[in-house]
Amino acid sequence: MPEFWIKMWEWWPEIFPVLLRATAMTVQVMIGALIVALILGMAVALMRISKFKLLRYPALFYTDVMRGTPALVQIFIIYFGLSDLGIEFDPVSAAIIGLGMNGAAYVGEIYRAGIEAIHRGQVEAALSLGMTPARAMRYIILPQALRLMLPPLCNYAILLVKDTAIISTIAAPEIMFEARRLVQATFMYSISGQIYLLCAGFYLALTLPLSQVAKRLEKAKERWR
Amino acid sequence: MIDFLRGYEDYLGGWLWEMGIASLATLQLMFVSFWLACAIGMVAALIPMARIKALNLLVKLYIGFFRGVPVLVILYWIYFALPEMGYEVLVVSSYTAAILGLGLHGGAFLAEIFRSGIESLHKGQMEAALSLGMTPAKAMAYIVLPQAIRVVLPPIANFAVGLLKETALCSIIAAPELMLRAKDLASSSFLPMHAFVMAAVFYYIMSFPLMRAVEYLEVKMGKGLRTG
Repeated sequence: MPEFWIKMWEWWPEIFPVLLRATAMTVQVMIGALIVALILGMAVALMRISKFKLLRYPALFYTDVMRGTPALVQIFIIYFGLSDLGIEFDPVSAAIIGLGMNGAAYVGEIYRAGIEAIHRGQVEAALSLGMTPARAMRYIILPQALRLMLPPLCNYAILLVKDTAIISTIAAPEIMFEARRLVQATFMYSISGQIYLLCAGFYLALTLPLSQVAKRLEKAKERWR
Repeated sequence: MIDFLRGYEDYLGGWLWEMGIASLATLQLMFVSFWLACAIGMVAALIPMARIKALNLLVKLYIGFFRGVPVLVILYWIYFALPEMGYEVLVVSSYTAAILGLGLHGGAFLAEIFRSGIESLHKGQMEAALSLGMTPAKAMAYIVLPQAIRVVLPPIANFAVGLLKETALCSIIAAPELMLRAKDLASSSFLPMHAFVMAAVFYYIMSFPLMRAVEYLEVKMGKGLRTG
């Protein structure tokens, strides 16, 4: 066991900066996908609670398909499939679009659950005060629902960090891709254990603080009631 | 659209057969790793009940680590790192590595689900069972767990959906399953869009009943359950 750590120490200057840069890329992709998911998810949620079947059913279908198929397949369709049809993305934007569209289904469900958890009386009161439905949503429902949504949204962000690992398959230069490249390109097979351990460390450095935030938010939610 | 469907002309029959067989392999992989995860998760959920500090810490580390890292890292560790580091005893086939990786990862999630299920029961249930003269083990087996099942079934079904989708990752370490087959077919036919869309359809067919089961269980098991 000591040799393991001695080797880790020796190779540290070679592997740490590479993986650190890759982590920056992971964070970048994660934030990009999060923004896409948060915006697109709102559209999905509003369509799902709409009165019109023409809006409701497509959103339902979208959510179901996105949640029923692996994110890997979706990303492959966007990256390899669309390029076959003539629409080309670079790996990073394909990853952001793919993970974002996948996330929109999950985030949409979170939004919907949050909105539906607010008592009907709140909308009715707002409407009877002469607010338009859009205003009632903006000023009455969403501010209250936001408190309920924050903890699950934070949990979703954790899932998203872990999901970014799969975009190594389309050669986006994030943690897992750089790690595999380090091992293969430089023939560092004997220290592959150290490299992957460091990968795990970087992922934990991203997910553990987030899960603490999720715990805090969960407690705060109880207090806000 | 029509042009797109034309692409399937020469391949549809063969692909349906190939992907159908591969779907069975995916289901098998999911099934085996599901039970492995259940076993690991149950052990990890019950150990803290024994109140032994060292074991407790170990379980905490296990859950914290395996919940915090992507499955891919675990798969790489088992399949690439251990053999490459020279532990020849630990060389396993990609299929075994996939089962181990998904099982270890899923075990950490199920442990949390089981624990919250057990903790959701009123403490009085355990106390009543003990005061009737049951041993703690008996009280757990006959009083607590049967009631906890109600609470944990919906999240377990949800976990199964997630597990089905995670099996797709095992194609990266070349475990024989649906996604790997789809990649093969995509590269041999030069029709990636067609192959991956068809793979998505197969995945959807497999996850659809599970997702409906989650909804059904949430309604059914939620009846008469104390909430809040």
